Amino acid sequence: ADSAKRSSADKAVVEGRRRQLEEWLAWREQVVEELVEERREMGLPDISEEMAALVVDEEEEGDAKVVD
Amino acid sequence: MRPILLSGHERALTQVKFSKEGDFIFSVSKDHNVCAWYSANGERFGMYKGHQGALWSVDVDPTTTFLATGGADNTMRLWEVKTGKQLKQWEFPTSIRRVEFSEDGKLLLGVTEKRTGQLSNIYVYDIAQDVNAEQSDEPTLRIVVDELPRVTVAGFSYLNRYIITGHENGCVAQWDAKTGEMIADEYPHEDGASVTDLQWSADRTYFITSSKDKTAKLQDARTLKVLHTYVADTPLNSAAITPEPTNYVILGGGQAAMDVTTTSARQGKFEARFYHKIFEEEVGRVRGHFGPLNYVAVSPDGKCYCSGGEDGYVRVHHFDPPYFDFKYEVEREMQGHMNRRMEQEL
Repeated sequence: ADSAKRSSADKAVVEGRRRQLEEWLAWREQVVEELVEERREMGLPDISEEMAALVVDEEEEGDAKVVD
Repeated sequence: MRPILLSGHERALTQVKFSKEGDFIFSVSKDHNVCAWYSANGERFGMYKGHQGALWSVDVDPTTTFLATGGADNTMRLWEVKTGKQLKQWEFPTSIRRVEFSEDGKLLLGVTEKRTGQLSNIYVYDIAQDVNAEQSDEPTLRIVVDELPRVTVAGFSYLNRYIITGHENGCVAQWDAKTGEMIADEYPHEDGASVTDLQWSADRTYFITSSKDKTAKLQDARTLKVLHTYVADTPLNSAAITPEPTNYVILGGGQAAMDVTTTSARQGKFEARFYHKIFEEEVGRVRGHFGPLNYVAVSPDGKCYCSGGEDGYVRVHHFDPPYFDFKYEVEREMQGHMNRRMEQEL
């Protein structure tokens, strides 16, 4: 009975985490989309100057990929 | 995760910052000195000399051209990173508690200390993007903070839209960065517990605050809504967000020696604490300092973090591969879903 209780508690924890992760990813997706839209409307590149500082390094390594 | 110890300061560290490329660390201390270090090996790159009092704050622009510092000698100074040359000095009636560049490096803010007869003020300056240019004496914006208690921390949001401030009573406020009008104020921290740090996500759409109330809060820069809460067992001095795709926050704090009866490292809780950003659970601690951690910072490339201690040391920790591989079951599951979805779309 104890292990059954534990496993249902574990399940609830995993369920809770799944919900938190989904919520977070959905929020991030929306925020990033809106931010990029606003930047484009203002005639700015998709990422800020400080985020672009990291891209330079990757270009030097021959792989110009933006990691967000 | 073998730490590199940066010893060069003679007194407590107050702030440590990485360059945006992650290759340099800048540190300020109560000993009046500003140091620059290579983050890869801990060798000292240089010092910036001139301040006449304890330093409270340091920041670097996105191209690692300009360094800003501020402290107890009532000045904020601008330096050329490469040469160590002082380019500008602004003077104020009280000390500078905080300096910060905007994400584009074109604006610099300074927060002045509140003292009898002087309110906390926030000054914003346009920074001419040329080391040979004359920098402006006059601020483009000055916010006199009379409605709220002392400002402890401040910074610019994404697109320089807002200035977000933290206060000594636990309040967090949002201001229009163009007009200086206050838009909103929230109380994410316990009443009377000072907000001790405010650090941004990489895109500055959200931020984390730490407080003496032993919690750190992740907040939306637009709405000030608290997204996540991290509960510690010691007053916090600092909190940092690791860059995505990793999902951690790092908290630093500890009881000052005069506030605890036993001053052993164990009692003081002088550890950097790692929490999962989304699940809010503590996932690990890193020991090392002999006094409270006054500041924690993460490299923008996510490869290492550093902490500045009351003990006068900066400790730099480069992450081991397991740190990047560790995932919760639901994170692995989600990754699997996303990979499958991408395969289908291809």
